Amino acid sequence: MIRYLVRRIVHLAALLAAVSALSFSLVSLSPIDPVDAYIGADVMKVGPEQRAKIAARWGLDKPPLERFTTWAANLVRGDFGISAIYNEPVLTVIGKRFAMSLWLMALAWVFSGLFGFVLGVVAGAFEGGLFDRAVRFYAYLLAGTPTFWLGLLLLLIFSVALRLTPVCCAFPPGVTPEEATVWQRLWHLALPAATLSIVGVSAVILHTRQKMIQALRSDYALFARAQGEDTMGVVRHHALRNVVLPAVTLQFATLGELFGGSILAEQVFSYPGLGQATVEAGLRGDVPLLLGIVLVSAVFVFTGNTVADLLYRVIDPRIGWKGAA
Amino acid sequence: MDRQGRTWMRKAAWALCAAFVLAAVAAGADALAKDKPAELVLAVGGENVEGYDPLVGWGQYGHPLFQSTLLKRDANLNIVNDLAESAVLSPDGLVWTVTIRKDAKFSDGAPLSAEDVAFTFKKAAEAAGKTDVTALKEAVVTGPYSVELRLKEPQITFIGHLVTLGIVPKHAYGEGYGRNPIGSGPYKLASWTEGQQMVIEANPLYYGKKPDFTRVVFLFTGEDTSFAAAQAGKVHVVSVPSSLAKQQVPGMVLHPVKSVDNRGLMFPMVPDTGEKTPTGFPIGNNVTSDPAIRKAVNYAMDRKALVEGVLEGFGSPAYGVVDNLPWEETTARFTDNDPAKAKEILAAAGWKPGSDGILEKNGVKAEFTIVYNAKDSLRQNLALAVSGMLRKVGISAVPKGTSWDEIKKNLTHSNVVVYGFGDHNPLEMYKLYHSRGDLNIYNAGLYKNPVVDANLDKAMAAPSFEASIPFWKAAQWDGTTGFAVPGDAAWAWLVNLDHTYFIDENLDVGVSQMEPHGHGWPITANIAEWTWKK
Repeated sequence: MIRYLVRRIVHLAALLAAVSALSFSLVSLSPIDPVDAYIGADVMKVGPEQRAKIAARWGLDKPPLERFTTWAANLVRGDFGISAIYNEPVLTVIGKRFAMSLWLMALAWVFSGLFGFVLGVVAGAFEGGLFDRAVRFYAYLLAGTPTFWLGLLLLLIFSVALRLTPVCCAFPPGVTPEEATVWQRLWHLALPAATLSIVGVSAVILHTRQKMIQALRSDYALFARAQGEDTMGVVRHHALRNVVLPAVTLQFATLGELFGGSILAEQVFSYPGLGQATVEAGLRGDVPLLLGIVLVSAVFVFTGNTVADLLYRVIDPRIGWKGAA
Repeated sequence: MDRQGRTWMRKAAWALCAAFVLAAVAAGADALAKDKPAELVLAVGGENVEGYDPLVGWGQYGHPLFQSTLLKRDANLNIVNDLAESAVLSPDGLVWTVTIRKDAKFSDGAPLSAEDVAFTFKKAAEAAGKTDVTALKEAVVTGPYSVELRLKEPQITFIGHLVTLGIVPKHAYGEGYGRNPIGSGPYKLASWTEGQQMVIEANPLYYGKKPDFTRVVFLFTGEDTSFAAAQAGKVHVVSVPSSLAKQQVPGMVLHPVKSVDNRGLMFPMVPDTGEKTPTGFPIGNNVTSDPAIRKAVNYAMDRKALVEGVLEGFGSPAYGVVDNLPWEETTARFTDNDPAKAKEILAAAGWKPGSDGILEKNGVKAEFTIVYNAKDSLRQNLALAVSGMLRKVGISAVPKGTSWDEIKKNLTHSNVVVYGFGDHNPLEMYKLYHSRGDLNIYNAGLYKNPVVDANLDKAMAAPSFEASIPFWKAAQWDGTTGFAVPGDAAWAWLVNLDHTYFIDENLDVGVSQMEPHGHGWPITANIAEWTWKK
């Protein structure tokens, strides 16, 4: 158990080092000039002298390798640097927004996991039936739907035409964050979380369904039937545990996708989460912020995978600690 | 997803929704509140993500709201006093002597003195942000309410800083000021949820006329979401792209605002002699370096058709870079949509039709590429329409979309480029047409005319802004030469956009200023004058 944890931590450190080096090289190769991106429409008002000053403030006058080593050295001391576009410490920028995104991702994740699993199990149990075909159609259709488009559609139907749900934001416009209640916040999460869940279920459905069909065709299912179990019984007592495993893996592995999907959903619903900041950081070449977000999301996804790994052992005691990676 | 695809899907989504909305409206969904609302909700953009600090660029467009400025522009773009009681430039154009009003206070109660003005200009000159005050030599306090701003060299456009630079308090300026701005403007910041909204409240200590709306909420929603919020009756003012301006929004009226936000074609002015940029890309163009070609392009184009076809009628033809501004030389205007005149000019210059109908001269075909930012569907549509119009006079203009970075770094010195400009300050005109400067975006076509340079320099060195205006005009066209179409025709300006807003039918936003490049926030320039009609 301890050896396992140590090994995971070493893995994490190596992963972070690799990810930051890779991201930094990619950003350095990007054709985006951060100073141009920052100045934007003011290009005629900012002369060469002022441009040089801006570049110097961000350290862009130094060669890339020196910038990276300075950044890494500061990082080791816990200093993530200053975001160029938000003009405040990277950790403050991420902290404000990550808390918001976490709510959204958690809701979407739980819903898509639960619904996906239930639909997949039922569809698999009644393979080829009307319900199965309907669920499969839904899953294929949704797998090809752009998140932002679905979000816009939901917004138009539920918020604009029916006026049921809020049009935007994490809480009602005009209310200050201190005044906003938990219920208001949850209510404002409804549509973005629904958008993410509706799109997110298809992978879980299809995998669970496939696994279910396999389980029902296995020898132990045949044996159980021979002993007089009906379909529901086989599903409940024999197949379910085997089907849970891939679903759990998948659900934790999709944390990365969830991260990506939340960026799009946040944009449509103007939800003030990390998504908008990530897009800005990328489009405007804010290297410290982008690297900060990359590191945080890497830790996030890594944690998800580790949790999945640990859950295996709880669900299936046959998997021991020995040889675990 | 590319812009084109998005546009299509967006249209599909809105179409799908139209039926729902109509049904809901017909069913008499909840009546919109007609009483004066407790708070005004605007979705016009304007989130300044690095904070509301004038020293690094806040307030360049519209009004800084939280701070006040020494001078301001009224609805007719005349420069009038605000915080300043007088602002006088010395005859040599080097020293601004400013006397400020004595009753101004910051929102924290501290009085605003000459110290704060000097501090603001000095700090802005040091700060590495979007406010370029590098022309300032020093700011000297000469009395409790008077200050001298001394410049390194005469620069009449420095007046732009007196108009846009919000004065910050010396005693309360520091790290984090942008997120907690204290100023002497009509409003103060109450709460800012980054990425979502900003709530502002009237500043009770403001020296000017108190605004009618004591609480205003700015929603920082994207274009589509803002429009959805308007459809749902949640906002009082929303800025919309012209493609959505033809839609109906219950309880709201369309409010188009004229602008100097223009789009035009930049011509490379020098022939291609094989010279390259330091990064190895070509300079010059053998077709557009011929003035006959540039003039023919200008005369052949039907700008009204561009306004109707590409801008859906929300715009006006552009004849120059400063249309309708006080320093426009109106005699340089011309009649376009005149293919006959274009052909005449080309024939007189020796261009003859080739076998494929495209003109030729000394073996050179009248052919060039119009490059545009591929992400911008408006520029794309302009390039395509222009290409069609030029074909009729025997010029082959090939539209090509690519990335903005590629254009700026590699293509801009040898190709015709669709650019957009437009500002309340003639500094822009100076940078576009003055020959000084290296290879850069300012004068990308390498235009050079000593007479124009001299006029621009005289304008810069003028003893007052009024005195500079005749020189700005002469640079365009002085009767014999200039950069405008009767002269060198260095650009072919195409259209000025109208900025389109939907506003609540009960809201009176007064007379909106003609807006610069930048859509949305500028409408707030006169927000202190807005009233509710009932």
